[in-house]
Amino acid sequence: MSESALLAAEGLHVAYGDAPALWDVSLTIAAGETVAVIGPNGAGKTTLVNALARLLAIRRGRLRFDGDDVTAATAQDMCQRGVALVPEGRRLFVGMTVEENLEIGCYRPAARRRRAQNLERVYDMFPILRQRRRQISGTMSGGQQQMVAIGRALMAEPRLLLIDEPSLGLAPAIVEQVFTVIQDIHAQGVAVLLIEQNVAKALEIADRAYVLEGGRIVGAGLPRDLLAQPHIRSAYLGEDGAER
Amino acid sequence: MPSATLLGQSILSGLFIGGLYALMGLGLSLAWGYLKLINLAHLAFAFLAAYVTYQFVGYAGLSPPVALLIVVPAFFLLGVALQALYTRFAVGEFASLLVTFGIAVIVESLIQYFWTADFRKLQIEHGTASLRIGTLFVPVIEALMLLVAAALSLATWAWLRFTYLGKAMRASAENPEIAAAFGIDPRRLALLMSGIGTAYAGVAGVFIALTSTLFPAQIFAWVGVVFAVVILGGLGNPLGVLAAGLAIGVSESVTMAVTEPTWAPLVAFTLLILVLILRPGRI
Ligand SMILES: Nc1ncnc2c1ncn2[C@@H]1O[C@H](COP(=O)(O)OP(=O)(O)OP(=O)(O)O)[C@@H](O)[C@H]1O
Ligand SMILES: [Mg+2]
Repeated sequence: MSESALLAAEGLHVAYGDAPALWDVSLTIAAGETVAVIGPNGAGKTTLVNALARLLAIRRGRLRFDGDDVTAATAQDMCQRGVALVPEGRRLFVGMTVEENLEIGCYRPAARRRRAQNLERVYDMFPILRQRRRQISGTMSGGQQQMVAIGRALMAEPRLLLIDEPSLGLAPAIVEQVFTVIQDIHAQGVAVLLIEQNVAKALEIADRAYVLEGGRIVGAGLPRDLLAQPHIRSAYLGEDGAER
Repeated sequence: MPSATLLGQSILSGLFIGGLYALMGLGLSLAWGYLKLINLAHLAFAFLAAYVTYQFVGYAGLSPPVALLIVVPAFFLLGVALQALYTRFAVGEFASLLVTFGIAVIVESLIQYFWTADFRKLQIEHGTASLRIGTLFVPVIEALMLLVAAALSLATWAWLRFTYLGKAMRASAENPEIAAAFGIDPRRLALLMSGIGTAYAGVAGVFIALTSTLFPAQIFAWVGVVFAVVILGGLGNPLGVLAAGLAIGVSESVTMAVTEPTWAPLVAFTLLILVLILRPGRI
């Protein structure tokens, strides 16, 4: 598995100053695979995503992407290799227009050459963004901003898309749309790492999933196997393990 | 009340001095807006460039355009080198005030050492040439200075607005971490921006040498009005700097014509205070 994996993390330790946030985290993502990471608030999911995007330093362990050791790589380097991020809280360039945000997405030279096609693709996916392309992104609703954040990442033509809590604070109809888009992205052969509070939905579309609690991986497997565990059902699906 | 001609002439000279304000404010505004650096040394660099131009043109016999061709790249490199140091020592927005004030004092001392505190005025051929348009006199070098200020403001605005590099600059000023995740290198862009801003100080310096009498104490005399222009224009907003420079230049000049010269320095600050009260949140 680890040989053929697109991304392979082995024993990652990540800390904020003196406060450790991840201990000995190992995970793999195969090319084209959708992997979900679930866990309670403060488990370290965002820390994991940001460490994989190389926004946070890795204290110990090893990270490989496409067979290369990227433990010491920079964020720019990860972008050039084909990793794109939809960060928690969207983190748009709020003073810039929708289209400018999307253009920053295709800043990397390999993607910039197909700017026009990629813009069309994103606008077809989210028609509202085509209408609002000249609007300052910070003035839009949360759902529309999330569309821009996803669109911005897609403009980079990623091989691996890291998505951190895309449905946070969105109306149910928008959440539906966002999940449909993630499935479309997956169908186009892009590998996806999905962090999601909405565990039922995440496990529905994932090929595999990891359970992260207190900074450690405490479970992994196929969604249906995880769903069969009483602990998962009671902790994440709000069900009493004895029922059903 | 002054005559129409006098009023016209003073509006014109206000536009010219306003062009110089904009030229001096441009680099300051870019550094403040995009690098979070309040560069008190910016004006010192402009006057250093003016003295260097004075030396090149007055003593080495170079023509002003040739002096410009040497000064601009040299100051670009100076800006790049300084930014590398600021990054290396992690100079923040507040610390930058102290650090660049120190640099300004050092530059002033160097100028005193090499050129003394005497008044210096460059005498060049056609230096005072002017065109006559109707009843108005248009001095050629001042008009050129205004044109250059307008052209640089416009070009910088267009660069920030329409090119990938300019958009990357704006993105990395807003959020360097996320910009980096999209392949942008905020450090290299900061070097470029600092180079550009300092090169603009060089351009301003060449025109200061061609139009004014030089003496070292001037460096600090200009700080107030140029900061007013930068804040009025909006940080990191080249067109705003141009508009604010011209507005302050013209108001000063008209105030001088209508009342008396001693009131002129009050104009910039009155405008600044009014704008800060009416539209807070500019800095
Ligand atoms: N910038 C930071 N500085 C210091 N500690 C942090 C920082 N960000 C997160 N932490 C801590 O690291 C731990 C993991 O946080 P993280 O944000 O990764 O969790 P999460 O699983 O994404 O939570 P949530 O579901 O709320 O998004 C928490 O204990 C948190 O307090
Ligand atoms: Mg999180």
